Amino acid sequence: MFKNKINKNPHGYYFIAPFFISFFVFGLGPILYSFYLSFTDWSGFNQPSFVGFANYERLLGDALFFKSIGNTLIIWIFSIIPQLTIALTLALVLHEKFIRGRHLFHAIFYFPNIITPITLGVMFALMFDWQTGSINKLLEAVGAISEPIYWLNDVWLSRIIVAGVMMFQNFGFNMLVFLAGLQAIPHDLYEAAEIDGASKFQTAIRITLPLMRPVLIFTLITSVIGGLQIFDAPLMIGKGPNDSTLTMIMNLYEAAFIRYDYGYGATIAYGAFVVIAIATVITFLIPGVRKKKEA
Amino acid sequence: MKKLSILLALALLLGVLAACSGNDSENTEGSNDNSGGQNGEAKAPEDFEGELEIWTFFGDVEKMGAQFEEKYPNVSVNVSVFPGDQYQTKLMNAINSRTDIPDIFDLERGYMGKFINQDFVADLSAMGADELVEDYVPYVKELGVGEDGSVRAISDHSSPGAFWYHRDLAEEYLGTSDPDEVSAMVSTWDDIIELGKQVAADSNGDVQLISHFGDVFNTEKANQELWVQDDTLVIDPEWETVFNNMKQIREEGVDAKLGYFSAGWGDALNEGGVIMFANPAWAGFMVGNDDGQANGKYGLAQTPSGYYDGGTYRAVYEGSENKDLAYEFIKFIASEEWQQYNLEETGNMPALTTIYDENGDSFTHEFFGDQKILDTYKEQVMEIPAVKATENNEEISALWYDAAAEAVDNGQDYDTVLSKFKDSVKNGYPNVDVE
Repeated sequence: MFKNKINKNPHGYYFIAPFFISFFVFGLGPILYSFYLSFTDWSGFNQPSFVGFANYERLLGDALFFKSIGNTLIIWIFSIIPQLTIALTLALVLHEKFIRGRHLFHAIFYFPNIITPITLGVMFALMFDWQTGSINKLLEAVGAISEPIYWLNDVWLSRIIVAGVMMFQNFGFNMLVFLAGLQAIPHDLYEAAEIDGASKFQTAIRITLPLMRPVLIFTLITSVIGGLQIFDAPLMIGKGPNDSTLTMIMNLYEAAFIRYDYGYGATIAYGAFVVIAIATVITFLIPGVRKKKEA
Repeated sequence: MKKLSILLALALLLGVLAACSGNDSENTEGSNDNSGGQNGEAKAPEDFEGELEIWTFFGDVEKMGAQFEEKYPNVSVNVSVFPGDQYQTKLMNAINSRTDIPDIFDLERGYMGKFINQDFVADLSAMGADELVEDYVPYVKELGVGEDGSVRAISDHSSPGAFWYHRDLAEEYLGTSDPDEVSAMVSTWDDIIELGKQVAADSNGDVQLISHFGDVFNTEKANQELWVQDDTLVIDPEWETVFNNMKQIREEGVDAKLGYFSAGWGDALNEGGVIMFANPAWAGFMVGNDDGQANGKYGLAQTPSGYYDGGTYRAVYEGSENKDLAYEFIKFIASEEWQQYNLEETGNMPALTTIYDENGDSFTHEFFGDQKILDTYKEQVMEIPAVKATENNEEISALWYDAAAEAVDNGQDYDTVLSKFKDSVKNGYPNVDVE
């Protein structure tokens, strides 16, 4: 009975075709090709030669690859916690009616997101330069230090600086997402709470946060995926002492585009893919993330 | 309907095949024609016609193209500049996919070794290039020679380095700004360290003799044995001396801790605070001279060893339809005419020793006042060992430097450098045996 009502007109397919064609050619094609490359030895000249699982064996014994995973995770944690905290706090504050010029603040906090990560990386590298950086000059001027600090020669400081770049760039974006979530919460819920005599804190914990859950989950998952792919900003800041700020994708870049070992570079890419997939699955396992909406 | 489409596909396929073979015969005819011209009397520049496609990462090649067009009025040269380090990838992609490959492509000396021994690079010796590089500076010539001994790539310049020193600071802290006297004072690294300690003491630490310990590495790196021989990592014992000098320079407060080409380094080069900088001859673009404030500001002194930094080479694509015209371009950039012009226009050092000799008594550069800098550079440049371009020597040197610089920064010893360096080589180059 319903069967006849389905519109079999193929025009719909034509409309979605451009996306799928470009995805197959520019998205899926390279993904499959790099999967093939990960089983080969290829320096860019002649033809790739098939080497079976040799690259994957190499990857599993590659201490630098595992170190780069650790670095990436550390940098990600250092950036994500303050980033989401600041974003949520700012969103809650800017959502209040009594704040004047809220839209101006929205724009100001969003500005860092417009700057390319490369620029931010260069900017931070210059700011934290050992001899000529503005941070050291400032600290010297106020008398906080007598000798300049070699920021980027310290394993943890350099990681914190890279995390700082990411935080600075992304908190504004997350703030906007949170604001959108806040604005979607029906106003009568707050009014009801007010009538019942709930305090500001209670409304935030009992109404705002639970209703923000979908938005929080969205932010968390996109931050996991994005945060584990960091590349441009740390590339500008450098590998750090003892490769402490070498991220997974920087490692891939060095293999594929510095040493032109495309086969192994592709293998690292698939290694990184597995790491990111695992991290995403772990995110889903966090209590509450998969919880169904209560009736 | 199906049959019709099969027929159509077949027709298309045949058409493509025919077009391919048609091209082939055209090519052979074309080259026969041209080689006839080559064997016969030399063609005049006006007789050359056509369009040349050149790919480069270096903007000045456009000037080169313009000069060539002036001399060869019936030729048009299209120079495509791809700045940045993605040039190599772009070139590789073009060559691999056999699409839009230029007639001539530039190669940077650092990675040139990978390219010039490939089949797609034309053998320039077969076209008579040995003659062109006869009078070349030995190291410049040798870098462009392939493993089979034929010339595969040619540069139009040499890139010698030397100490650029601030004349006023040298006068104040070294007691002289005379290039010969300054050269004598910095002829060994031990002398430099002693002198540097004195400068730091005299200026209360405000002025340093050199900018960074990296200058030791930059000026000495061409003198060691190649890293990889018979697929085994060879560590020249001389590297330890290089490391010890680097370390001592830092410990004795001789350097200003300003990394090569960093922002602070550029300031010191222009404003002072550091007396001397080991710079390649092409580093002039780092000096601001809008209203002539840099005229006569520097002197040029010899570094303890002659060295070079960088170098752009030009190779011809084997499958080019314009090979003869491309070779004509190579001939042009290897000529005295272009290299003299280039020296006068840009201050880039020539590759021909004859140009060095002819201009030795006369050439001066605004930054160096009336100092005859070609003589200094020539002495430096002739000292540089002539070795062939390799696939990864440059990158492995960089790994050594990374390990060494980190150890100097953290006060570690040479054993730490070696173990870190060996780990990096093992990791990046699994085919190289590391003991």
